Amino acid sequence: MEFINPDVVDLSRFQFALTALYHFMFVPLTLGLTFMLAAMETVYVVTGRQIYKDMAQFWGKLFGINFAIGVATGITMEFEFGTNWSMYSHFFGDMFGTPLAIEGLMAFFMESTFVGLMFFGWDRLSRQAHLAITYLVALGSNLSALWILIANAGMNMPEGAHFDPETMRMQFESFVDLVFNPDAQAKFVHTSVAGYVSAAMFVMGISAFYLLRGQHRQFAARSFRMAALFGIISTVAVITLGDVLGRLDYEKQPTKIAAIEGLWHTSNPPFEPWIVAALPDDARQENHYEIGVPLVLTPLITHTFDQPITGMHELEDEAGPRIRSGIDAVAALRRYGVTHSSTDLAQFTAHEQDMGYGLLATRHAPGQDVTAIPADRIDDVVKATQPDILPNVFVTFWSFRLMVFLSLWFFALFAISAYLSLKRRLERSRLLLKLCMWSIPLPILATEFGWITAEAGRQPWTVFGWLPTFLSASSHGVSYMVFSLVGFVLLYSVFIAAELYLMFKFARLGPDHDSMEPHAPATPRASAFDMRPMAS
Amino acid sequence: MTKILRLAGLAVVLVVSLLFAVFVGDQGPWYFAWVIGTVMIILISGAGAIMLDAQSSLSPDGEI
Repeated sequence: MEFINPDVVDLSRFQFALTALYHFMFVPLTLGLTFMLAAMETVYVVTGRQIYKDMAQFWGKLFGINFAIGVATGITMEFEFGTNWSMYSHFFGDMFGTPLAIEGLMAFFMESTFVGLMFFGWDRLSRQAHLAITYLVALGSNLSALWILIANAGMNMPEGAHFDPETMRMQFESFVDLVFNPDAQAKFVHTSVAGYVSAAMFVMGISAFYLLRGQHRQFAARSFRMAALFGIISTVAVITLGDVLGRLDYEKQPTKIAAIEGLWHTSNPPFEPWIVAALPDDARQENHYEIGVPLVLTPLITHTFDQPITGMHELEDEAGPRIRSGIDAVAALRRYGVTHSSTDLAQFTAHEQDMGYGLLATRHAPGQDVTAIPADRIDDVVKATQPDILPNVFVTFWSFRLMVFLSLWFFALFAISAYLSLKRRLERSRLLLKLCMWSIPLPILATEFGWITAEAGRQPWTVFGWLPTFLSASSHGVSYMVFSLVGFVLLYSVFIAAELYLMFKFARLGPDHDSMEPHAPATPRASAFDMRPMAS
Repeated sequence: MTKILRLAGLAVVLVVSLLFAVFVGDQGPWYFAWVIGTVMIILISGAGAIMLDAQSSLSPDGEI
């Protein structure tokens, strides 16, 4: 196996992280705004009030800006798997390529086709037909996220595949297992509703801006009310699904959950504190300046009061036998590649589940070849490999906490906003309106932290337990990687600048048609089930 | 005839929805929760807006 330059691996990781984080600045707003538009248009169709059509059109315009720029940033990522992660694509392409292909052919085409009808069909379609189109755009954009997250769940909790020693890759086994992977389910709902929170904060914040300036009051009041209610329920859902994901990680990715909680030693139930803040030291494998709340961690993670959570030191110890077994698996696989003998195959099959740990040990083997490890040095290689099973604890610990602290802030802000809106006391609370306005970027930041938690916590694997990240990259030169990285940074920064410029411009301009008479019905007032084309 | 066809269409949608609920509710409970939850979020936020219309009609010049 050709060994990859570690600098190229780091640059490939950095490039993918950067493009994913850039792309993810646009995605949450698309996921959530489409359903908010559907909600506004539903009220328009049911009540026939013009103001809700104005709302759907104005927020739809801001959605359009976000959608157009967001799509461009997403396309490059699919190519990166081939260009920068060719080993990964070879090893896991069957599993990963299938949902990505479905995403492109089904969800993305559906979303892109109907988005044109949504923008240009207001005067050409009946109001019911247009509403159906808006729902299809919302469904398409969220189905797009579904297939991406099914692919991602395969990397975190591989299900529906088996390793084939003939082809040296993971072979597709079960589509149902792939689609109904518990990690895919929980992660999709968590991500989708995080998008709802982002969209709700976006609409609420801009509406607060209008209310602070006394502009478009009726328009802003309705947008604010809908966003506050949309946001509070979505925030509860995000927190609930976050808990589900934590429980799944406890069962399937113990290194991730231990890193998230900064848990170096196995917990002492039920008294183990939940560490609110600390400075995890990866080099010395300990925390500095811990501040914790006793009795919280065990029920939070295990949903019981008596189950322990395995700490990182103990996970390292548990990995020792697996690394040793994995070395045997890799050695048997190498022999089988030459001999194709049933003895070598049987030996490989006996250690197959630990193959990834054997691959992890190649970094410490002479000439990166585990078959070349002398018998008296195996213990040293195993010992050197043990700390490699852990992700970067500082990054995982803090990205998780920042996400959680932000989500608690959203819960408080949406709850107070919804209450004051329902009581019609919004305009008295200028501080709250300012907080809503300044909180617009925070949900997007929280989703970025969530993504970092999930992906940094998965390390050192691209396919958890099977393929180490340092063996997944392509064999590019460093200069190629630096050149393409700089190119992406420049290009994507232009996209972000364009998005911000257009968003600020159109948000400041406000709605094209501001119905000052919110109770005036659309002309002609029609029932919700009237199939005539809408009046412009 | 149109009404019968519409009723038949709605009946088909009902049956498909029930089958979807039974299958997905069993195999993918969180997918099912997402469908139900999203519909609920849309309905509640829409109801909030309609409630604001009702509140405004009671006191048109009132505070927001």
